Amino acid sequence: MRDARVENLAELIAGYSLDLREGQVYRIDGEDVALPLAVALYGAAIRRGALAYTRIVPSGLDEIELQLASEEQLTYMPEVEQLATEELDAWTSIWASANTRSLTRADPERRRLQLSTYYRIVNRRWERISAGDLAWCGTLFPTDAHAQDAEMSLREFEDFVHAACHTREGDDPIAHWRGMSETLGARARELEGVRELRIVGPKTDLRVVVEGRRWVPSDGRHNMPDGEVFTSPVETGTNGDIFFAFPSVYQGQEVENVLLRFEDGQVVDAEATSGEAYLRSLLETPGARVLGELAFGLNYEIDRFTRDILFDEKIGGTMHVALGGGFDEAGSENKSDLHWDLICDLRDEGEVYADGELVWKAGSFLSPAAVERV
Amino acid sequence: MHAQLAEVVVGYSTEVRPGDVVRIDSYDLSSAPVMREAYAAALRAGGHPTANFVIEENDETLLKQGSDAQVEWVPPDQAWNVERGDVWIVFDAPTNTKALSNVDPERMTRRLKGRRELQATYLERSAQGEFRWVMCGFPTQASAQDAGMSLREFERVLSRAAFLDENDPVAAWKRFGERLEEIGSMLEQHRELRIVAEDTDLTLRVDGRTWIRSKGLRNFPDGEVFTGPVESSVEGTIRFSFPAMIRGRQAEDVRLRFEGGEVVEATARRGQDFLREMIGMDDGARRVGEFAFGLNEAIDEYTGNLLLDEKIGGTVHLALGRSVPGTGGENVSGLHWDIVRDLRDGGEVYADGELVYRDGRFLNGAS
Repeated sequence: MRDARVENLAELIAGYSLDLREGQVYRIDGEDVALPLAVALYGAAIRRGALAYTRIVPSGLDEIELQLASEEQLTYMPEVEQLATEELDAWTSIWASANTRSLTRADPERRRLQLSTYYRIVNRRWERISAGDLAWCGTLFPTDAHAQDAEMSLREFEDFVHAACHTREGDDPIAHWRGMSETLGARARELEGVRELRIVGPKTDLRVVVEGRRWVPSDGRHNMPDGEVFTSPVETGTNGDIFFAFPSVYQGQEVENVLLRFEDGQVVDAEATSGEAYLRSLLETPGARVLGELAFGLNYEIDRFTRDILFDEKIGGTMHVALGGGFDEAGSENKSDLHWDLICDLRDEGEVYADGELVWKAGSFLSPAAVERV
Repeated sequence: MHAQLAEVVVGYSTEVRPGDVVRIDSYDLSSAPVMREAYAAALRAGGHPTANFVIEENDETLLKQGSDAQVEWVPPDQAWNVERGDVWIVFDAPTNTKALSNVDPERMTRRLKGRRELQATYLERSAQGEFRWVMCGFPTQASAQDAGMSLREFERVLSRAAFLDENDPVAAWKRFGERLEEIGSMLEQHRELRIVAEDTDLTLRVDGRTWIRSKGLRNFPDGEVFTGPVESSVEGTIRFSFPAMIRGRQAEDVRLRFEGGEVVEATARRGQDFLREMIGMDDGARRVGEFAFGLNEAIDEYTGNLLLDEKIGGTVHLALGRSVPGTGGENVSGLHWDIVRDLRDGGEVYADGELVYRDGRFLNGAS
């Protein structure tokens, strides 16, 4: 039986995130477990007159390739993928996994080679998105594997996902996200007047200079669910301590209770209660000691940790930073192969000061964003 | 079964070589294990495989809700595969063989028309040996249901038909291929064939045409020899034993009468409107593009699965519509519709007046 919520999600992505139009060439990517959403998206695209097709792959191919492929096979870029990356007008990636840990034991060097081809596509995709030539949205279809990571049943996790997307039965998702877009846009414009943010919380007192940087509202165009505003801080302007109570996951490996100390923009001390060696090895990546991102999580339907960054970085009432590469669109100058999001829970006793003025307490901004209506 | 089937289609049917770009397609999600095996086999052979599910439900959406432009559009990955790819492996693993039964035939025709150019490239490149493709049967609940049996039973049928019971399936296919060579060579000595059975007396000329031996390279399982008869030469009547099926629809008990190579009368006990719609698709749809002998005796019963049915040992089939390149056939059409006649109960075939085939078998010493 069709799940009306999945239909809502598809209509939201096709109608709002991508704003699909007649004659646009549109591709839907995902693994076999994403099928119900792929089918719903295809239908939504056809009804909008788009020229749609799907690329639904059996799960487990990456593992087989890692096992059997020569280096040449592992890094081979199919011409048809290159062409798609250049020519598509719209694209959806459905992240739905049958087992989120199936590659945890793979040889990291071979996995790096395998991913290098994928990242070439991702990088080119972002160039075309920035140039306004491509609409792209990444989303998740709930499976037991993701539910298990989030320590929920599949049914609970489905409810959670559709609440986060505002695609429950009876919701008006497009109206919600249009409103969210206005709010986040107003908040971003406000933050652009700020020189320095000070974040105070458990084991946390961090000053971050953001002067001259752009704040970007993440309003459901490129991710669904969404709900954050982010920037890339001034590379030399971060000082103090920040503590991350949620486990920090990078490529399937967890590091717990990370505490970082910054001086003049650089991590000078790093601790963790587990995975500290992994944390230190990641910090050896060039550019990894500098913050590439600072963001407010503002989706209050996302109220718990799920081990999936698509949700976790948007948990309402949190802030997150990323070690490593920053965003061109925000004005970042930091380059790195690493971009590792770490989430700081400010919901209970967090405070944020903007140029000395208290603007955020216990997980929310004190004043509503001043939405300008035209 | 999965690993064996994958080995034969990758190693024998398409002979994947280092550097080949290989596309693997299938339908029902239950076929994921055989796709993974084929993906692995293609990697071992040095190829560059990708695997993809074709979603039947999306076809229904497209055909029922799409505009003409959407229905006629060919996705770029499919076009690239046919125009530039080296190997295409398709597992015929349906989720529901009747999912498109209620789609307006005009929409199906439009879709076929949109693909005519690509279809020509596909046949041309495969005739040149530039594009090696195979359509491989795969047992699903839907195909088992059509065959009136359980999935386990249908797996046995398919496994037998594919010679997977043999110690060395590839060697068995090579031996069988030699037998098909002999039959093909014999048929090439003759100008005219006459097929005689109950309610059937059909003559057609085959001189100057090539008989292709289908030995498991393009279809798997396989086992037929076929040609494109001289287009204007088909005369007489034929009554088909098995339902004529295409794209989820069917006509039953089809009888055709030919004059000067064209269908002049077409009746069916069920699905007559559909039959006429298909035959009326274009000029070529009224002519015969293929005539063939089914020769795989490990397939001995009708299962409603054309891939197997047209190879049943002891049958003949003809296709209305497009000729297959390489046969010398010249018929052009958006249609290629195979319909099967059983000859195992008294059917006879005469080649230039000489009885060469009776009760489903070529006679010893037929020349």
